[in-house]
Amino acid sequence: MSDGWLALLQQAFSLLLSFDPDVWAIINISFSVSFAALLITIIPSIILGFILAFSHFRGRWVVTNLIQTLQSIPTVVIGLLVYLLLTRQGVLGDLKWLFTQQGMILGQMLICAPVMVALSQAAFSSVDRRAWETSRTLGASWLRAVWTLCQELRVPLLLAIIAAFSRILTEVGCSMMVGGNIMNVTRNIPTAIALETSKGDFAQAIALGLVLLILALVLNFILGSLRGKALPRSH
Amino acid sequence: MASSNSLPTSTPVQIHAQNVLMKFQKNTLFRVDELNFKQGDVIYLQGDNGSGKSTLMKILAGLIKPTEGVILDQGFTPKPWWQTDSLLGKAVYLHQHPYLFDGSVKYNLTYALNQLKLTPSERSSRIKQAINMAQLNDLLSHHASDLSGGERQRLAIARAWITQPKLLMLDEPISNMDKHSQRLVLAMINQLKQDGTGLLISSHQTCGLTALCQQHWHIKQRTIHTSMHVPTVETVHQTNTTELHYGTTN
Repeated sequence: MSDGWLALLQQAFSLLLSFDPDVWAIINISFSVSFAALLITIIPSIILGFILAFSHFRGRWVVTNLIQTLQSIPTVVIGLLVYLLLTRQGVLGDLKWLFTQQGMILGQMLICAPVMVALSQAAFSSVDRRAWETSRTLGASWLRAVWTLCQELRVPLLLAIIAAFSRILTEVGCSMMVGGNIMNVTRNIPTAIALETSKGDFAQAIALGLVLLILALVLNFILGSLRGKALPRSH
Repeated sequence: MASSNSLPTSTPVQIHAQNVLMKFQKNTLFRVDELNFKQGDVIYLQGDNGSGKSTLMKILAGLIKPTEGVILDQGFTPKPWWQTDSLLGKAVYLHQHPYLFDGSVKYNLTYALNQLKLTPSERSSRIKQAINMAQLNDLLSHHASDLSGGERQRLAIARAWITQPKLLMLDEPISNMDKHSQRLVLAMINQLKQDGTGLLISSHQTCGLTALCQQHWHIKQRTIHTSMHVPTVETVHQTNTTELHYGTTN
């Protein structure tokens, strides 16, 4: 590694460890927006995943395919859709959410929901049907039985949540279009990395990239430890 | 489909099936004009493999709906308005291979207790009785997946017993079990019978378990035949049913 790269890396660590206000404001916005989007989406997505796996209503096939398609839509297209909804002439224009964190949360919800629904549907489809029947016949309410299945499927459901969180925390297209990359308001890690790289300020870009890398490591370790405890079950 | 009647709770509880037809796609599995399963009944449900014994039990438990017909319940404590249409939790169904939740034996045993409004002393008393009945004293902290087949079945019966069900359906409860486990499970079932629990026990062949029964339902040629005559055990079974009480097996 050249001296230039080492110097950049040193500067990046220095920005992080000295708690540079600009860098940490960006990190704060990134996490608060993505956590908010994730928290709002978790319960409805998991319940929808359960319904799609366990019920046989007319049109289930269409909904399932639609959700799977939504997973693969580029985030910039979702950004465009949300932009059109939030612009003054848009359906949700009166909310005045364009270039705000609320707008970014809305966009990220649309990005993470299909991932969580599809992965939780797959998880619920794989569960032993007897778990549901046992819970219900022992007198559990519908919600308690769903909660029991969530406990039985905690590892794949956590995987779904982590996959969705990773997708929204690292997406740049929607945040850039809907948030506008305004410093201390809507600038998050991916949009800041894109901007600082284009300006040639690699130290801040690397510092923010390191945060994402550390996060990826932490999430993988958490998942790995959970997987390790979840031994294959005999019936 | 099913409905709850608000009869006085002193009325013996029962599940009543009328004009039930069960089909899978276009194939008829079975049909029956009328079936009554009430508290105090001990019924032997006989049928070949694939004849629909488990399906019938699941219908009576409210887990699946029949293609045609109605299932009525009578005499149960009225449920909240949002559950009035549900048969679930009234006649408890135990799978042939019981499902144990991912947790300890104690977690499984107490799973259903959280739904019941019990005082702490009632709760601990039931837990103690269930543990003694199933002889699971040394296994409480073990993970449920560590149990043997017989232990799993005993835990499943104890888990159902702890809710003190009025009606209990056991699907092939002693199939593929060693003699010792069979004796313990038979003792538990005999105890349930003595407690007055209505029991519907399925088996594809007569055995020591069916000797406990007073009625006979037989799924034959896609029809359910009922009678008060229970077939005798085909093979000589040395176990005297009076010895099946769990207290005498220790």
